Amino acid sequence: MALKRINKELKDLSQDPPTTCSAGPIGEDLFHWQATIMGPKDSPYNGGVFFLSIHFPTDYPFKPPKITFTTKIYHPNINSNGSICLDILKDQWSPALTISKVLLSICSLLTDPNPDDPLVPEIAHIYKTDRHRYESIAKEWTQKYACK
Amino acid sequence: MSEATRKLKVTVLAADNLYKRELFRMPDPFVVLTVDGAQTKTTKALKRTLSPYWNESFEVQVKPTSVITAQVFDQRKFKKRGQGFLGVINVQISQHINVQAGGETMVTQDLKNSNNSDPVQGRLVMQFNIAAEDPIRHPHPNSRNGTPLPTASASPSPPPPPRAQAGSVSRNHTASSLSSASVGAVAAAATTAATATASTTAAAPPPASASSASAARANAQNTTTSGDALPQGWEQRIDHLGRVYYVDHNTRTTTWRRPQASGNAPAIEPSDTERQQHMNRTLPDTGNSSTPSATGRATPSGGTASSGSSLGPLPSGWEQRFTPEGRPYFVNHIARTTTWDDPRMRGNQAPNGNRAAAVAGIAGQTASRLGPLPSGWEMRLTAQGRVYFVDHNTKTTTWDDPRLPSNLDQNVPQYKRDFRRKYIYFRSQAAMRPVPGQCHIKVSRDNIIEHSYNEIMRLSVTELKKRLMIKFDGEDGLDYGGVSREFFFLLSHEMFNPQYCLFEYSAHDTYTLQINPHSGINPEHLNYFRFIGRTMGLAIFHRRFLDAFFTSSFYKMILKKPVTLEDMQSVDADIYRSLKWTLENDISDMGFTFTVDDDRFGERVEVELKPGGKDIDVTEENKEEFVNLSIQYRVCDRIKEQFEAFQAGFHELIPEDLIQVFDERELELLIGGLAEIDMDDWKKHTDYRGYTESDQVVQWFWKFVGEMDSEHQTRLLQFTTGTSRIPVNGFKDLQGSDGPRRFTIEKSGDIVALPKSHTCFNRIDLPPYTDYNTLASKLTLAIENTVGFAQE
Repeated sequence: MALKRINKELKDLSQDPPTTCSAGPIGEDLFHWQATIMGPKDSPYNGGVFFLSIHFPTDYPFKPPKITFTTKIYHPNINSNGSICLDILKDQWSPALTISKVLLSICSLLTDPNPDDPLVPEIAHIYKTDRHRYESIAKEWTQKYACK
Repeated sequence: MSEATRKLKVTVLAADNLYKRELFRMPDPFVVLTVDGAQTKTTKALKRTLSPYWNESFEVQVKPTSVITAQVFDQRKFKKRGQGFLGVINVQISQHINVQAGGETMVTQDLKNSNNSDPVQGRLVMQFNIAAEDPIRHPHPNSRNGTPLPTASASPSPPPPPRAQAGSVSRNHTASSLSSASVGAVAAAATTAATATASTTAAAPPPASASSASAARANAQNTTTSGDALPQGWEQRIDHLGRVYYVDHNTRTTTWRRPQASGNAPAIEPSDTERQQHMNRTLPDTGNSSTPSATGRATPSGGTASSGSSLGPLPSGWEQRFTPEGRPYFVNHIARTTTWDDPRMRGNQAPNGNRAAAVAGIAGQTASRLGPLPSGWEMRLTAQGRVYFVDHNTKTTTWDDPRLPSNLDQNVPQYKRDFRRKYIYFRSQAAMRPVPGQCHIKVSRDNIIEHSYNEIMRLSVTELKKRLMIKFDGEDGLDYGGVSREFFFLLSHEMFNPQYCLFEYSAHDTYTLQINPHSGINPEHLNYFRFIGRTMGLAIFHRRFLDAFFTSSFYKMILKKPVTLEDMQSVDADIYRSLKWTLENDISDMGFTFTVDDDRFGERVEVELKPGGKDIDVTEENKEEFVNLSIQYRVCDRIKEQFEAFQAGFHELIPEDLIQVFDERELELLIGGLAEIDMDDWKKHTDYRGYTESDQVVQWFWKFVGEMDSEHQTRLLQFTTGTSRIPVNGFKDLQGSDGPRRFTIEKSGDIVALPKSHTCFNRIDLPPYTDYNTLASKLTLAIENTVGFAQE
């Protein structure tokens, strides 16, 4: 059932690709994809291209996919391992969600961080107390790691 | 008293041959060093290596009794849920270096497992250096020159030996040290030997072989002369497992605890804490049955333990011992009986002689109304004149009159009385009575699972029903209960160790177990499951506990109860949510079919939930069937063979119809026992949502919980967290389905509703009740009726 569903998502993605992101299998293994997200315009990540790795669990879509950033990014909800703190990837997952929808959610997380449920408390603190500093560091990191 | 501390330079040199936990990457190992649980030092993490070379030095303050603990972790995994453990060593300083005299030494030890089951291998190398000239922080007049001193003068102010301390302090001390000693079951042997008049040597070390005993003595000599201060008449020894214990030649007892009152006891390892927790487990029946006589005796004799001197020695052949709770009892080695009554107090009991008459009087009164007691039952009176009942069939006592229906006393919650009643009924059945004779089982600690397998599968069921006499290789412990307790404790750790692939931890948390669907990797697995079933039956039959907790569905399957969607929660929370979502939402275009994907060691296999399921779409009409089949498959079908083998073994000792009187939560208590819950720890590690700790309802909640007996508290814990298991390190380590989740009280729900629980998140929804009585009755009702409703 998982394979059938993944193939369907792949087909949907190619027929109706989202504007700011893309995703597809890396090699033969359809359960392991790579995705890219363009840094949203109204965010300090603008201009950067961020790579993510996607692993589908055997029980997909009854279990959420495992998605991590492979490009370094300065964000209160994304840590240095690339792990993302996003409810729909955890207990708010539902089989109705797709990779395309999840990637769009991650885009909006880049625009609107959630400092009240941070994965990196230090960044969340800076975000809350010194927005300017947060933006300049985030831009600097984007320049350094996501513009190649 | 303060012991001299010295500055010790510890150099963490290197480790080699660490365990490779992940298939594709090496760990980033680092070492955390502590001295007696404090003075934490950490090395830097080295990248991707199994043979790290740190060569980092730290300065710490040590006493001759200090234990240095060095734990190796993988930094990459360390942050996640306490993973990344690569091994630990514990070094008793005095075994390697003379703390007073100074010197330098290299220590190489094999890394050991702590309390969890992850495999560990490799060695850790450290160097200890104590400068000879280093001034002593608390200088002792005689030891400035650094030469070893004879024990007697080395102790600055030797505390009086415990025996000499009068009153309750001494009593508590002796009681606790004895109970911890009996835990090891080894010291019990020494106690027996020392007390029994026929025994030859008073100083018989526990089970150590001759060579290791002399080595231990040499070691002890070493440590005692190196200036640490044991009270007079005490000696430090080391058993064959390298554990330090203490012999009190004054009282001829042994203990694991160092006899100082100053709290310098060597750090207790988690496994010991765990062991302690396990040994203290009880069942309501046993706990209550001891109450009547406990209150009866404790009052007249006062501090029984310290009464030795006032009453003179025990008659020959008698020995005084202590229950894990510290209550004294007496063993008559001649008649091989035990009693709560102090044989020296016999004469004083004459004034109580008229109690028999009182009993007769009461019995006469009630018999006229209720008829005679059932056969084998007897009515007795406590010292306070309260009536209790003895069931000689099962050798149990109860406050409840067996002639009365169970629901007469409205003040006592119903289920509890039912559980106790069920338990008494269960024990009273012919199939549960021990067969006369003894069943000797000899195993070695090192290879406990293989030996136990051979023994338990070799013996006939009738043999196994005889009184268990467990013996560990090379140890002299006589099984008066302590050894078999230890046996089941150790064996349960091995049998259910996920390393053997027979059981695995549920996805729900890290400590409830379920059958590993892929256990077939071991071609002998079905024989092992039959053995595990037999062993579990054996433990229940002989009233011993296993240190293992299972998912609710496992208990339900034993009881042949249908498994529901709620049970899926503890098996796999993600799947539970998705199946629940499936029932609650329109799934017509989801493309679901009647199949399920299974991961078999990396290979994905599509399994049909019913014949032709690959081509049957799941629709709004048939989705309920799909959900039920999914649950059935995920919970039961995948482990059908294994479970049947387990069940066959289990029912050889425990008949199906008898076990079915219990519900799944009661079965958990029957297998694992009731733990004593530390209320302060519980309270301290509780989170609040919508409430604060000072809110009236919260205060009421804790007041009410504090007043519950341990069975109720355990039930509340089951209700909220799904299991009665308390993590080894206490409530701070409570796990939810998504990592650590502390016990949480949330303000939620209408004040006429019952509290609800979310076992995935260890959360209880407590409506803001307006008075104490409402809270008490709603909470009681909720935890008594957890099956079917009130739980999400």
